Amino acid sequence: MLRRLLVLTSAAVFVAAACTPGTNASDEIAPAGQEAEGTVEFWHFFTDREGDAIDQAIAGFEKAHPKIHVNVTAGQDDAKMLQAISSGKGPDVGLSYSTDIVGKFCSSGAWRDLSPYLERDQVDLDQFPETVRSYTSYHNRRCAMPFLADVYGLYYNKTLLQQAGFSGPPTTMTQLADMAKKLTKRSADGTIEVAGFLPLLNFYEHTPQHTAPMWDAKWLTKDEKSAIGSDPNWPAMLKWHKDLVDWYGYDKLQEFTAGLGDEWSADNAFQQGKLAMAIDGEYRTAFVENQTPDLDFGTAPVPVADNQTDRYGAGFVTGNIMGISANAKNPEASWELVRYLTTETNVIVDLSNSIRNVPTTTDALNSPGLRTDERFKTFLEIFANPNTSTTPPNASGPKYVEMAQEFCNSYLSGASTDLTGGLKDLDGRIDEALDLGR
Amino acid sequence: MTAVLTRPLRQGTMVRESWLVAVARNSVAIAAAVIFLLPFAFVFLLSFMTSDQALTSNLWPTTWHPENFLDIFRKYPMFDYLVNTVVYVVLATGFMLLSSVPAAYALAKLRWRGENAVFVVIICMMMLPPQVVTVPLYLMWANAGLTGTLWPLILPMLAGDAFSIFLLRQFMLTIPDSVVDAARIDGCSEWQVLLRVVVPIARPGIAATAIFQFFYAWNDYYGPLLYTSEDQSNWTLSIALSQFKHLHHVEWNLVMAATLLVMAPVIIVFFLAQKAFVQGVTLTGVKG
Amino acid sequence: MTAVLDRPSTVDLPPARRRVSRRWRHRLTVLSFMAPAGIGTIVFFLYPLLAAIYFSFTRFDLLTTPRWVGLKNYVYLFAHDPVAHKAAWNTLWFVLILVPARMIAALLTAMLLTSLKRGGGFFRTVFYLPALAPPVAATIAFVFLFNPATGPVNGVLSWFGIDGPLWFDSPAWAKPSLVLLGTWAVGDLMVIFLAALLDVPKPLYEAASLDGANAWQRFRFVTLPSLSPVLLFAAVTGVIQTLQYFTQAAVAASVASGSATTGGGISSTFGYPEESTLTYPLHLYVQGFRYYDMGYANALAVVLFVVAFAVTLVLLRRFRAFAGGRP
Repeated sequence: MLRRLLVLTSAAVFVAAACTPGTNASDEIAPAGQEAEGTVEFWHFFTDREGDAIDQAIAGFEKAHPKIHVNVTAGQDDAKMLQAISSGKGPDVGLSYSTDIVGKFCSSGAWRDLSPYLERDQVDLDQFPETVRSYTSYHNRRCAMPFLADVYGLYYNKTLLQQAGFSGPPTTMTQLADMAKKLTKRSADGTIEVAGFLPLLNFYEHTPQHTAPMWDAKWLTKDEKSAIGSDPNWPAMLKWHKDLVDWYGYDKLQEFTAGLGDEWSADNAFQQGKLAMAIDGEYRTAFVENQTPDLDFGTAPVPVADNQTDRYGAGFVTGNIMGISANAKNPEASWELVRYLTTETNVIVDLSNSIRNVPTTTDALNSPGLRTDERFKTFLEIFANPNTSTTPPNASGPKYVEMAQEFCNSYLSGASTDLTGGLKDLDGRIDEALDLGR
Repeated sequence: MTAVLTRPLRQGTMVRESWLVAVARNSVAIAAAVIFLLPFAFVFLLSFMTSDQALTSNLWPTTWHPENFLDIFRKYPMFDYLVNTVVYVVLATGFMLLSSVPAAYALAKLRWRGENAVFVVIICMMMLPPQVVTVPLYLMWANAGLTGTLWPLILPMLAGDAFSIFLLRQFMLTIPDSVVDAARIDGCSEWQVLLRVVVPIARPGIAATAIFQFFYAWNDYYGPLLYTSEDQSNWTLSIALSQFKHLHHVEWNLVMAATLLVMAPVIIVFFLAQKAFVQGVTLTGVKG
Repeated sequence: MTAVLDRPSTVDLPPARRRVSRRWRHRLTVLSFMAPAGIGTIVFFLYPLLAAIYFSFTRFDLLTTPRWVGLKNYVYLFAHDPVAHKAAWNTLWFVLILVPARMIAALLTAMLLTSLKRGGGFFRTVFYLPALAPPVAATIAFVFLFNPATGPVNGVLSWFGIDGPLWFDSPAWAKPSLVLLGTWAVGDLMVIFLAALLDVPKPLYEAASLDGANAWQRFRFVTLPSLSPVLLFAAVTGVIQTLQYFTQAAVAASVASGSATTGGGISSTFGYPEESTLTYPLHLYVQGFRYYDMGYANALAVVLFVVAFAVTLVLLRRFRAFAGGRP
């Protein structure tokens, strides 16, 4: 009796194993010229003010395509989207905040291959810069379209800099460290009150991802193996951070950050003048405008390593990307939405003006309607710089970046002391982890 | 098994205590009571502060803002989360009772081949960490299209809950067999015995089990995290509370107000059903 | 011993047939009572358990059909995943520290309650209250209260000139902070011990003190032995619960980290700081539901099952008589 039960259950297991709810895409698309109609489920990650800007763009889309109605869900991050698509219930169109999932979604087919649509509607891919094209496809399978980009630069508090006698922002890492030390104010018992620059790599937007380009530190090799252990720029970068962490005192830094405000609120440390210099994305200009307009700040490219001054002006770029789920109920209407939001110049310009993200098409970049002030221009220039790079896409998504992040954290806190050995070990672990996901 | 805790708490040793020792004991008790209550007090005080003051280390609100409790409903869909939680709790408890009471009766009062084996299996199920079976269960529900909802947490209650069956069985064991036999002699079928005789007698035990289930579902975080994270409209209060920090910039005074609100029903239910609940708790640790 | 008594309607049948049909009717009756629970056991216990074992030998991510990879996941688990070892160590740490801490706290408070002459009921309620607080709510409250910069705990400590630690933000103090949270909510265990303490026969204490035993000796030779079944039960169930420890660690990490996770999701904060609060179930969740390495997550699950089953066996062996429970 028991044995029969076991056999039956095992059979059920095998049957169930063969059924995955995930993807069952059909590759057929409608011929050119037909008007799409129906409802589209659209998920994006923006909230609050930025979410409103998206809503406005959607309203414009519905006006231009009266037969299509869009249901918008805000605040959906990558994890939620992945979970929903994996269980077969995902949105028709998804907007992700970074390129981390491109590798996974393209290779597994979770997002459709868009090449048939691009061909049919003759979308010119040259309107996107090379870097942007590279982070929206994986192994020659283009499953995403770029939707505005985020570029990272250095924000500096002009008031604080002037008070300390500095006339401009730093351009090399040594200058950054020196200025950071001079700009730091402490209270009598040593607690930090104002920090010149926060060298921790897990704070706000100070992450290994965003700083690696400043040292030209490579992540993966061409055949998708970890390059971290063999690249001498990594130890250089981490040593710089560690020296500054030690100068502040790790515990003091932790205590300081624990009391800082939420990154996206008006209590943001930089916006409140508690942080003299910070690495942040171009969207921060909008947040400051909105939340703390009295702040006198400037923007500049992030300083580079001392021996790489010819690379000054480059930075880290990541794009928001859009894709159509493999099991989208209305692929045609979905494609219309994607095309509208990613290629229509005036839409891109409007969105860029309200969210203050970097437009990704050359037409939008050169459009007279684009609101550029001096501070925002910095980011446009970083975006156009040929040395600006992103983290390479990969089938395991953000895993290798997060593993590196963990190592950086433990090195900076003093838990790991062997830098070169630790990086080599990280290399091996990343390779194993990537292999597991293959 | 009588209500153990309605006995007076004095254990009374033969040795007479010195007055000093008695004072020491009471002081310790008072100190302990203060420590246990302090977090509640802080949460209470914080929930009446303004957002700015909540970020400082002040302990007493300079101005009192009871409207914070209304604000959490106005600014966030707390009402939806509350409804979701209530639906989950009520359905889960109801379904659990439907399926577990008969099973407990069968294990307690019926004799049949394999009952010991089944009871051992029940114990094993109670002891199984849910994470062991999470992935296949998730796949099953994904195939059924029910992920993103609370149904994967509610429907299995129709198929019995191991802990509840265990608890109910222990309660039913305390009902004398003579009562059950008398009913059988009177011509009742087993279902009639259960419904007309055993259930009324076991009411306190059933109530205690139901309250346990209520608390379990109300406090459940892992289940809703797994199944409803992708669909915010189906979140329960526990998920909403933990995510307060991530979607909106944090207003700690509101978070504390929401925390208080999530704690309140549990405490109220406890006070209302104290006797039954405490009875149930002691039975889980019964030494046999 | 009760025998199933005759029903009037079968009385007229010949004896053998009577027994058979009675037996079948009895079986059907039992089935009708046990059916939902029985189905539940198969569908929600046996099947997923076997499926988990099967999937642990595959590479599987919900987006594509499972692909057999043999022992690859297990090799990775034991040889190449230091995070899994850290997570296992974290869970073991909690088993070794949290379970005894709670038991001692529960015993002490229960004994305190029994020794009070007046107001025992009031204190009992007060001591029990924290156990009622929903874990998520309690954890958020604790993390906030223990915030090293703005929380009242470090504020009060500074009055005494003590420089408070970083609590939930420190890799060394994060787990102890969670233990503090666990012992604060010790009420549920305390009530069980209280009931057991009250069940110790008074004459035993009287006899012991007549023999000249002092308080400690009374505790050691009367209280502890009487309590030992309950203590063992509490220990084993405590271990089982701690093997599953998830909610408080997850919520504490995500609230304390304070990092903006717009886009990344809440699970990117699990284990903060530096994987010190990453329990084994959390690691399983991250591997399975953040990276979608579901085959590997199942391998982790199978190892967890083996450990939990071993502990369960201890309980079953010790309580075989108790588990039977019937004369």
